[in-house]
Amino acid sequence: MSALGGNLLLPLNVPIAVRAKCCCYLPATAPLKTRRNQRRAWKLWAQSDHFRQSTISQQQVNLSVLRFTFGIPWLDESYLPRLIGYGFGSLILLNHFIGSNSPVPSAQLVSEALGLSLAAFSVTLPVVGKFLRGATTEELTTLPERAQQIFVMSENISDNLKEDLAWTSYVLLCNTKSLSVLIYLQHVLCVRGYWKVPEDLLKDEILNWFIGQITKFGLVDVKDALYFPQSTGSMLEGAIPDGTGSILIQPVPGKGKENIAGFVLLASSISYAYGDKDRLWIQAIANKFRGETRNTDSELS
Amino acid sequence: MQTEEYRGPKPRKNWIADWVSKNDDVARSLPIYTGGFSLLAVLFNRAIFGIAPVTDASSSQSRADLLALGLAVTNVLTGLVWLSIRPKSISKVEPEGMECHWISPYLPDTVVSELEWFWQSLSDVTCCRSLVIVYDGICILQVGVAAESSSGDGAETVDAAKLIHGALCEGIMKSGAQNYLANLSLYPSKSELPFLPPNTQAVVLQPLGDKGIAVIGGDTIRGFTNADQAWISLIGDKLDATLMKSLTRTESLAQNTG
Repeated sequence: MSALGGNLLLPLNVPIAVRAKCCCYLPATAPLKTRRNQRRAWKLWAQSDHFRQSTISQQQVNLSVLRFTFGIPWLDESYLPRLIGYGFGSLILLNHFIGSNSPVPSAQLVSEALGLSLAAFSVTLPVVGKFLRGATTEELTTLPERAQQIFVMSENISDNLKEDLAWTSYVLLCNTKSLSVLIYLQHVLCVRGYWKVPEDLLKDEILNWFIGQITKFGLVDVKDALYFPQSTGSMLEGAIPDGTGSILIQPVPGKGKENIAGFVLLASSISYAYGDKDRLWIQAIANKFRGETRNTDSELS
Repeated sequence: MQTEEYRGPKPRKNWIADWVSKNDDVARSLPIYTGGFSLLAVLFNRAIFGIAPVTDASSSQSRADLLALGLAVTNVLTGLVWLSIRPKSISKVEPEGMECHWISPYLPDTVVSELEWFWQSLSDVTCCRSLVIVYDGICILQVGVAAESSSGDGAETVDAAKLIHGALCEGIMKSGAQNYLANLSLYPSKSELPFLPPNTQAVVLQPLGDKGIAVIGGDTIRGFTNADQAWISLIGDKLDATLMKSLTRTESLAQNTG
């Protein structure tokens, strides 16, 4: 991929302490340079990036953006309205109980009610912002604790199917925010990634153990895609690593319209890990096994 | 509909997520209207109760009003940021040409089904409307919308030798990296792709190892996202492995019989 193009660095002088940066990332730009004078005016570097075609690494569509940040690494500016809402809302309450004479005048009560409503609205703004079109989560996946990295596959299957299962599980782990993949196709199982497997289980028993977990929840009868973007509930609680944020179960279509040949299960450590585009691609990948199941049937019979 | 045999939990509906994704424009403007309305409400409140429009830090009324104004301004600024980063929607352009679906009859069934799956995935998930695959010097697949031939009888066929030896493909084969022409009209090298509809908006050229290339035409400028490109790249590697295996098998069969 070619490097980002059209990167202009424009010096501005403003009396407020802010730092400008590119909208989504923190590239290796020059650190904030400050020059203090009596008025504490700081030199502000505004950076404008015009994204072009394949040079964007995370945005869905090209757009020119100019955004300002405080330059504090641990502070996510999208949560600023929430912090201001909490802060100002607390001050309004403080003003009501400590700073005012009793009885509180009606005008002040109206202002305080308005202020508290605005504070509550500001607190919810980051949640709304997360679901806007084009918003991408910058949350990184975290490796789960108390989970093992495994790669097991059914034996007595054709080399073609083995290859396809290995490739599919690899691309799903590579191209999505998944840490765990499970592919089930009519008695054929492929499990890859981080899973919470009992320590005393022998390698030969792992597949049977997983089939037991699948049977316990009746996952073979899932007909429509199931997406748990936040709370995964009790879904495969014995096998899914602790702290799993989202789970997606995508059925694999069978020969007929109503038949289901199996499913693909993906788990990620972050919430809302699978966007619309991700789910479409996962569905396309699952459809690859529609033809494979015919081979499986003929091998098993 | 789930059968009764599924015994797992059901996903909970997220009303906020559903509402925001269906009403993106309204959601983006909501903080501005809320903040603006609150600003006016604070001033109106002062006017109604006959409070002088001056800021007095010793007055608890003024302090409450200032805090409310601060929150209102925060909302307005948030709304402005959301509006400024609204993705630009680009409309798709219906490709001019004729539908075709041709796959080389000499390919084994496993290869044909994989190629069909590739085309189905691209057309379902991306803005792809045309797909041509050239491998080992011959065109093995041409599906989707193709340009009409100059003689008027059918789709424009792919001159594989000319394509492979053109500057576009040579560059890709040399680098081994995918090339994405996000706005095809800006590139003079589009003349090397006469089999694509003349108004194709974007093209992805994916090398298949060092023996082939997949030409993927789309109907929207910058229509292929980074996720699409990543998936196409990985699937391209798989296709190359499948085609190479099929080629090796054919060659060894020919050696054994010949």
